Amino acid sequence: MTTTPTSFESPYEVATPEGADGWEQMYNWYHLRGEERRADDEQRFWFHDRLHHPRVLQPYDEIQCECWWQALGAFNTRILAMPPAYGVDQRIINGYLYVSPVPADPAQLQARAELFQRRAGHYYDNWDAIYEEWKQKVTARLREIRAMDFSPLPDIEDESVVFDHRGYSSGYRMIQDFHRLVVVMYETYQYHFEMLNLGYAAYLTLFQFCKQAFPNITDQAISRMVGGLHVDLYRPDDELKRLSKEAVRLGINDEVASADSADALFARLRESDAGREWVADWERTADPWFLFSTDPGHPGGYHDSKPWIEDPDVPLAAVREYVARLREGEEIDRPTAQVLAERERIAGEYRKLLPDEDREAFDEMLELARTVFVYIEEHNIYIEHWLWATFWRKSRDLAAALSAMGAFDAPEDMFLLRRSEVAEAIYDIVAAWSVGSRPRGADYWRPIIAERRRIYEALKAWDPPPALGPPPEEVNEPFTVMLWGITTDQVAAWLSGAGEDGKTLQGQAGSPGVVEGPARIVKTVEELDDVQHGEVLICPATSPSWSPVFSRVVATVSDVGGVMSHAAIICREYGLPAVVGTGGAVRSIATGQRVRVDGDRGIVTILE
Amino acid sequence: MSVIRWIGPDEPPDPTQLGGKGAGLARLAAAGLRAPPAFVITVDGYREAVGRRLAAELERAAATIPADAPSAELERAAATVRARVVEATAHHPLREDLADAYARLSERVGETAAPVAVRSSAVGEDAAGRSFAGEYDTQLWVRGADDVDACVRACWASLYTARAVAYRARGEPAGEVAMAVCVQQMVDARSAGVFMTLDPANGDRSTVVVESVWGLGGPLVGGEATPDRFVIDKVTGDIVRREVVSKPHELGRHSSGRGTERRPVPTPRCDDPSLSDAELGELARMAKRVEEHAGAPQDGEFAVAAGEPPDNVHILQCRPETAWSRRAQRPVAGRRSALESVVSTLTKESR
Repeated sequence: MTTTPTSFESPYEVATPEGADGWEQMYNWYHLRGEERRADDEQRFWFHDRLHHPRVLQPYDEIQCECWWQALGAFNTRILAMPPAYGVDQRIINGYLYVSPVPADPAQLQARAELFQRRAGHYYDNWDAIYEEWKQKVTARLREIRAMDFSPLPDIEDESVVFDHRGYSSGYRMIQDFHRLVVVMYETYQYHFEMLNLGYAAYLTLFQFCKQAFPNITDQAISRMVGGLHVDLYRPDDELKRLSKEAVRLGINDEVASADSADALFARLRESDAGREWVADWERTADPWFLFSTDPGHPGGYHDSKPWIEDPDVPLAAVREYVARLREGEEIDRPTAQVLAERERIAGEYRKLLPDEDREAFDEMLELARTVFVYIEEHNIYIEHWLWATFWRKSRDLAAALSAMGAFDAPEDMFLLRRSEVAEAIYDIVAAWSVGSRPRGADYWRPIIAERRRIYEALKAWDPPPALGPPPEEVNEPFTVMLWGITTDQVAAWLSGAGEDGKTLQGQAGSPGVVEGPARIVKTVEELDDVQHGEVLICPATSPSWSPVFSRVVATVSDVGGVMSHAAIICREYGLPAVVGTGGAVRSIATGQRVRVDGDRGIVTILE
Repeated sequence: MSVIRWIGPDEPPDPTQLGGKGAGLARLAAAGLRAPPAFVITVDGYREAVGRRLAAELERAAATIPADAPSAELERAAATVRARVVEATAHHPLREDLADAYARLSERVGETAAPVAVRSSAVGEDAAGRSFAGEYDTQLWVRGADDVDACVRACWASLYTARAVAYRARGEPAGEVAMAVCVQQMVDARSAGVFMTLDPANGDRSTVVVESVWGLGGPLVGGEATPDRFVIDKVTGDIVRREVVSKPHELGRHSSGRGTERRPVPTPRCDDPSLSDAELGELARMAKRVEEHAGAPQDGEFAVAAGEPPDNVHILQCRPETAWSRRAQRPVAGRRSALESVVSTLTKESR
């Protein structure tokens, strides 16, 4: 133990991977290291944000990080006066996002606590009404960006431009819409954090109360007292179940079950009345419920993860699975009533074990945690799924239009530009379109994009260290622990290189139980089809759009996430052991290897 | 009232007649829990068997032993008193009643001479606030009316062990010296151990802690064997911690069928958990029921026979938990509002 280092490598000593020289040009300068901020940065503890941004960032996708960098910070630091914590600072190092929570000034603790009490109290007292307003604000922004049309600019403008006296060209419109697209996304992130950390604070309060009153209580037991309500996050999966039952009712279940692709199936179904009815139902349901990202981990984190609506083979695979289970006579609905009855029983029994003086306080804390928990779960569908899926979709439309108009050789090229460069590319295209000449376009960007693609590949091959700089003696900043699942033990394990024997991996106990089985690595949604009954799912993280796979696997292991991550929640619901936040299960385990998943202690053992 | 009481749901758990263990058995029966059939020779039974004259003689003899005497001397003196008890009760008046009760017990479990455990059950022992566990005798795998009778008399005599004498010489328990004796069908224990309806390490009342070894529980209770340890959440039933250790020896029935013997446990069995998850689940359920019925935290002993859970899990005895129950449960949030708790959680974290 004496050889265990006390600090991680300095962020300023991290070397550029071979072939990635010049990577800094791909990101905004304020997101990078700089000699003038070195002394300050080197005193801080940074960790790789594997939860939200496990992969290399493409330059255009950097906006995702910036949105939460600013909005989370402003709400914690300036608006709600969260007593212990300011925001979470960010640096991009070799294309990966590193973050560092900024503690509040201890001298301000009392003053901030008073402000917080008054401000947070207002939100807690009016939570449901404020949440209703919130939905209005967010869905209005969704409507706004959905209405944007990024088609290639017309050869000649429509007559309406003249007769409606619009007064501006479609070229100007494209410039303005892109600007609005970015600004609206930025705005939506304000709302994302308007309520989220207040929600986490209330949940954390119940959590810590329970841990003190019942030192042995598991995280899962606490979450079972709170969760279980039928929130909109589960609606997409519920809609698939409903469509599966409809297929059975309409007598088209054989066709659905044997379908190879969504396109072929829909074409065949359109030949019959029953089939047409089902396809129409599917299409009605798809908007908005299939605006549902398949990205494991942080839905909406990257532009290339498509929602179901653009990749209907994914939800169709789930429907096939449900139809097969229905034909076996299985019940496919979530046992909501049972889950809720169980949550009342559990809460009631813990309550009875408390001393009298604590019971009312427990009731209040539990009620508050349950109230905020609906938001904690549901905000995902509004922001991460609907807004981000739409944002990326519109961005891809823009990329296709710009590419068609000569800005790039291929639409994907656009995502290797920073968003300010995309705005430049639009000006170039619009100017050329307006005067009827040739843009500099692809000729200008081609060498830049070629170099960045090469750099991007070099960065992809790099293995980002989990943490940098000196760790705090104790990790107790509430959101670092709650959200990222980073604990004092975890940091100590990283420092000592634990788990690097290649045989065991330490994560968090996400769902209880111990089970052994062959591993199945699943990194993308396409690989879900390969999962066989009885396998252990090993993945970066799971997404609610993966739900059907949980009826096939015997346990789940994820690289990122804490006990409130989707993988942990869904496994508790299905009664499967889960170890979450292992850091490197996907990298260390191969498909087919036998593994033991100990969901009681958070340990994964490679048995062969 | 008969001086032999059959343990059943209708027997009041009266510790002044049944002693601590006997009263615990009566509570188990009243709670409807699976426990081996048993009867108790009451405290009045002891008085009747010993008689006033012998009792007075014994007290005089015990009183001459100084509490601070060297232990060898204490042992010798106590042994003399015990021998006198065994000898003087050779023809005690309960002999026939006891033989009848034993015959009935044997008949009930379908054997001609059922193996039983004979346990002393003193007044003042096993009561809330006082724990004399292990102070008095327990004899296992006893068979036949004569052996049972001898063991009952040995139990009576065990009021005068050197330890017990020294204990009482220091003033506890006050009052008359007397005891009850429990005769309980022997469970052929594959595994055995103790349970507590709270965690003795931290006082957590939402957990049942189970410790167990292969074979009989004696070496565990006596502190001679390191047991497996399991922590079970009472509310969810989850096994939240399991510490399985190597258990290279076990105490089991002697090959003669009478008494016990220590024997090695072969590998890999010695490293296996001594209880299955289903058995732990049943134990937790029973422990929880015991506690609910008693209205206070309990601990106790259990044995698991061959066969399938839940039917192979038996509770052998229970008693009020003594260490944490005396302390008042400290509130965590007290009368704070939820908002005050949120603020307190956040400000506490930053320190």
